Amino acid sequence: MVYPSRTNTQQFSSMGKLPPSLKTSKNLVQPVQSLLKNAQSSTQQSPSQSSHRHARKPPKSTTKNPPQTITPTIHRSPAITFTSSDISSAKNQFTSLTTIPKYSSILNNRFCNSVLESFTSVSLSVQDSIFLLNHMTKVNPSFTPDKSSYHILLSQSCTKPDLDLSNVEQALTLMASNGFQPDKVTTDIAIRTLCSTGHEEQAVELIKKLSQVQTTKPDTYTYNFLVKRLVKNRTLSSVSLFIDEMRKGFGLKPDLVTYTIMIDNVCNGKNLREAMRLLDVLKEEGFKPDCYLYNTIMKGYCTVSLGGEVLRVYKKMIEEEIEPDLVTYNTLIYGLAKSGKVKEGIRFLKEMAKMGYFPDVVTYTSLMNGLCRDGNALGALELLGEMESKGCSPNECTYNTLLHGLCKARLDKGVELYGVMKGNGMKLESGSYGTFLRALCRSGKVAEAYEVYDYAIESKSLTDVAAYTTLESTLKWLQKAKEQGLAV
Amino acid sequence: MLPQRMKKVVTDNPKKLATLIDLVNLPSTFREFVGRSQSSRLGCFQHVWSYIKENKLQDPNNKNIVHCDAKLKSILLGKTQVELAELPMLIKLHFPKVQK
Repeated sequence: MVYPSRTNTQQFSSMGKLPPSLKTSKNLVQPVQSLLKNAQSSTQQSPSQSSHRHARKPPKSTTKNPPQTITPTIHRSPAITFTSSDISSAKNQFTSLTTIPKYSSILNNRFCNSVLESFTSVSLSVQDSIFLLNHMTKVNPSFTPDKSSYHILLSQSCTKPDLDLSNVEQALTLMASNGFQPDKVTTDIAIRTLCSTGHEEQAVELIKKLSQVQTTKPDTYTYNFLVKRLVKNRTLSSVSLFIDEMRKGFGLKPDLVTYTIMIDNVCNGKNLREAMRLLDVLKEEGFKPDCYLYNTIMKGYCTVSLGGEVLRVYKKMIEEEIEPDLVTYNTLIYGLAKSGKVKEGIRFLKEMAKMGYFPDVVTYTSLMNGLCRDGNALGALELLGEMESKGCSPNECTYNTLLHGLCKARLDKGVELYGVMKGNGMKLESGSYGTFLRALCRSGKVAEAYEVYDYAIESKSLTDVAAYTTLESTLKWLQKAKEQGLAV
Repeated sequence: MLPQRMKKVVTDNPKKLATLIDLVNLPSTFREFVGRSQSSRLGCFQHVWSYIKENKLQDPNNKNIVHCDAKLKSILLGKTQVELAELPMLIKLHFPKVQK
């Protein structure tokens, strides 16, 4: 694909590096997190057999490049774990390993790199890691540091970068002086490591420096990754400035994914006007909005409580002959249900089926939400039955939606539903918790309300502060109502 | 992320939250009941509520009513029976308002 030179993907993955197969903006968040978790577990645990295998076999999609020339027996090799950052003891540990003859066959580059990586996770300075690398090549001549060795050093330097990036540059220079010209993969590793350790400022600095050289110019994945990080913790104007700078200074243009990230971000911040402006800009640049972008815009309308607008967006999509997907339909139905047009939402179930999509738990929950808002909580309860009969199992959100709706209409059914939720150990959401408490208190079931309060804390649905605040204010409200003769 | 309600409480009124979870020196009656000299209002409430549950002080016919035993009476204004609904208010009485 993009990087023909990338052979040991697994190694990179444990440093927060994603293989290209995973690098689409849509699923960036999750894999990154799961991979990072993976990385943590592999560095924290002692590499007993199981954890070692675990580290080598990250999620399915990363095993695209199967480990070459490595037999499974190696996975059970006695790897070195470093618990102290002391360089001389690390050296000794490695030396003692080389003296055992039966291990001589496994001291290949891959193994040595994993030793080095293990040390970098505890070592205090890159200098120490470089010493270890030199020592390893001395006592084990079959090991010749390769590109990954230097990438390991680089990623260590990026976890604790100096303000002026001098240690990162040192790692890059070391790499180049040993005959490995930094390339786009290097850039990607550096940027991702910087971002994942919260050094966005330095990442911006570094990407500007690296963009000056053609070979290390970031590709769209690296670029979009950084933009995605930036929109999360910077103001919109400074991100726009960054994008402008990259375009003018280095000819790096934002692509459709970049715009989708930006639009998603402004939509989440309820700034729909900016989203519309960006939409115009991207059209001017010659991009054609795709299904993802329209889904994002629909979501935007839903967050600003303009659920009715989704229908307009949907019609536009059909006009432009963009094929909607399940997310489109779910967002559409969610928006319609939220804006009191649940009947129209139900109509779309048929249309979905025509396009080959079947309602899932999200679709049903949105519809139930709409029915409850419409005051038809019993209809929502019927829908639960229909949903289960079709083999679609409800989740916590479904139950919470229903509980919320039933409290307002049929408290007895709500209590019943609560029993089911409790039996399954489901958590209560703060909204449905509050509504439930109020409904119980209103009908004079204060003791039951206390029981729900206990359950909310016990099941860790809410913090005890949040649970108590709600209980207290509900009871206060009840007392007031009693004084005025409004409640039992 | 903080739950919505919690977030609202914090942003709306940080002081209100502080009176709920800050440790304060308890008045002497409460000190005996809780067995500690310092506690938060939330901690006290939890303590009283679990005391009621443990000693089964709720009226078996109407669970909303609590029959106070001697120990509980000492902290709840000497009432022989209280309603569960009043409980937070009664406990709050032991916590003087903080001057602004």
